[in-house]
Amino acid sequence: MFQNRREGLALALPAAVFACVVFLVPVAILLSEGFRGAAGFSLTPYVEFFSSALNRAVFLRTLKLGALVTLVAAVIGYAAAYAIVNLSPANRGRVFGLVVLPLMISPVARTYAWLVILGRTGFVNQALTLVGLTDEPIRFLFTETAVFIGLLQLFLPLMIISLISALENMPRDAVPAARVLGASWLQVFTRVILPLTKEGLVIGGTLVFTGSLTAYITPAILGGSKVLMLETLLYQRVTVANDFASAAVIAMILIVMSFSANLLLKRLARARGR
Amino acid sequence: MIRSTLLAATALACGTLAAQAQDRTLTISVYGFAQDEFSEILYKPFEEKCGCELVVETGNSVERLAKMEANKEAPVIDMAVLSTHDALAANRAGLIDTIDTAKLANFDKLYDIAKDPLGDGTAVGYTFYATSIVYRSDKVTVDSWADLFSDELKGQVAFPNVTTNQGPPALWMVGKAMGESDPTLAGAISEVGEKRDDVVTFYVRSSQLVQLMQQEEIWAAPIGRFAWKGFADMDLPIAWATPKEGQTGGMNVMVVTKGSQNRDLALEFMDYWLSTPIQTALAEGLVDSPANAEVEVSDDVADNLTYGAETVASLDLIPADVWLDNREGWLSEWNAKVGQ
Repeated sequence: MFQNRREGLALALPAAVFACVVFLVPVAILLSEGFRGAAGFSLTPYVEFFSSALNRAVFLRTLKLGALVTLVAAVIGYAAAYAIVNLSPANRGRVFGLVVLPLMISPVARTYAWLVILGRTGFVNQALTLVGLTDEPIRFLFTETAVFIGLLQLFLPLMIISLISALENMPRDAVPAARVLGASWLQVFTRVILPLTKEGLVIGGTLVFTGSLTAYITPAILGGSKVLMLETLLYQRVTVANDFASAAVIAMILIVMSFSANLLLKRLARARGR
Repeated sequence: MIRSTLLAATALACGTLAAQAQDRTLTISVYGFAQDEFSEILYKPFEEKCGCELVVETGNSVERLAKMEANKEAPVIDMAVLSTHDALAANRAGLIDTIDTAKLANFDKLYDIAKDPLGDGTAVGYTFYATSIVYRSDKVTVDSWADLFSDELKGQVAFPNVTTNQGPPALWMVGKAMGESDPTLAGAISEVGEKRDDVVTFYVRSSQLVQLMQQEEIWAAPIGRFAWKGFADMDLPIAWATPKEGQTGGMNVMVVTKGSQNRDLALEFMDYWLSTPIQTALAEGLVDSPANAEVEVSDDVADNLTYGAETVASLDLIPADVWLDNREGWLSEWNAKVGQ
């Protein structure tokens, strides 16, 4: 492609320098704060962080909600993506546009909409009362349920887009062939669709899980401080306590969780592919 | 020829004035709140008056203190506004200087509690606010801070998070209602922790409370008076409580950075800000409650502010050193009892 390696390196240099200066260096400086003890390098900040019951609870809640959002997004995402790729080209474009539309709206606006929808006088409670499922309004706001719904709505489009892309690259006759050979729909999914779209699932899963871990606005508005997540805890440590060491520890934990999720998904995909 | 000479002279004069203005630059660091109003009422008129350039930096107290600390040897901020406890933190870190009040012509016009809030001459108050409880008067009656945790208000209350400027004062008064005056706020925090599930949310921004009240998510919440207008404008029967334990609140102060090269200009600006016309305009614009006792406003305006000697005298404020010395402990205790 390039006449020599030097030419390729020269072309990549501006982007590499930019990434180093504006991303890697600041992140490295921040993360180094988390390894600073009284006598140089130390893991004490990490030990102290995990010795707090509150921090452990927040860590587990963040992990649980991130995993749950990713799992449910994958289930809904596969159904939606499969339906979309089987539409006519004209309708596919229109529906794809509807999937992408929420990404063009500010997360703040989307989250505030949920504040109204999930409220005691909101649409959900009115509907539940109307059909007789409840006598009085159920409190959804400032609960894990509200955060889960908000995060799912926020990141579901990313999963659908990733899976649409993967499903479009799948041979068109793979599913009909499996059906003709007597496979149930569950077997079609686990033995045909899943192995052929695992790359899309890994990308989508990583985007949704990482997004759920690092989203700040949605947990802050829909969960508040009754449903602390790692990112809201990080904000608290910096803005209230001016404690950058704790912030660095939390940032490192979030990075490790994101990379671990990506590795885990890749490994699962490889296992399914064998 | 004459025209070109005039043009040249005008250009020269303009250039000279501009150069003089650039010679005198004052950098201030303030809260990001109501900057359009501040610009119109305070910043632009001051620039015209002093013939100088005002550089305005906005941000929260943590950012402000971090920047002052980082540039301790060569200050880049000349004057800043802070809460009383953050001003004390700045003073303990050696970041601010004593204010020469002899250079403040408007100093004597201030309410007494604003003249020397830290007791060491390093800060001057420019605004304060009351903190009490707003509530739905058609649903409940609130006569005490303890009523926040009554059966009537179970599942209908928002309480300020300890991390906000309203949190500690509200806890302070809850403690008083329990007959405690312990600066660790341990009793009050335990009480809130026990009633945690009865509290709808521990809010961080008072702006979100208006919507929660409108949606009938909550019937009561402790708030600062600066947020009252949003509730008063609602089409609901909302009242401002006068609890038997009294009202609390907070004060914001002006400080001068130690080592500032523009000390006199900073004092000139502070004095201008404290003057009766400016404090009146800020009050009438519902931007800030006046610390200048000579300010007179209509009843309608006063109703939305913390106004008048009687109101000011009734405020039970947390001393700055109590706040600063206990802040970390409050947060740890809160996280242990309420956060989980």
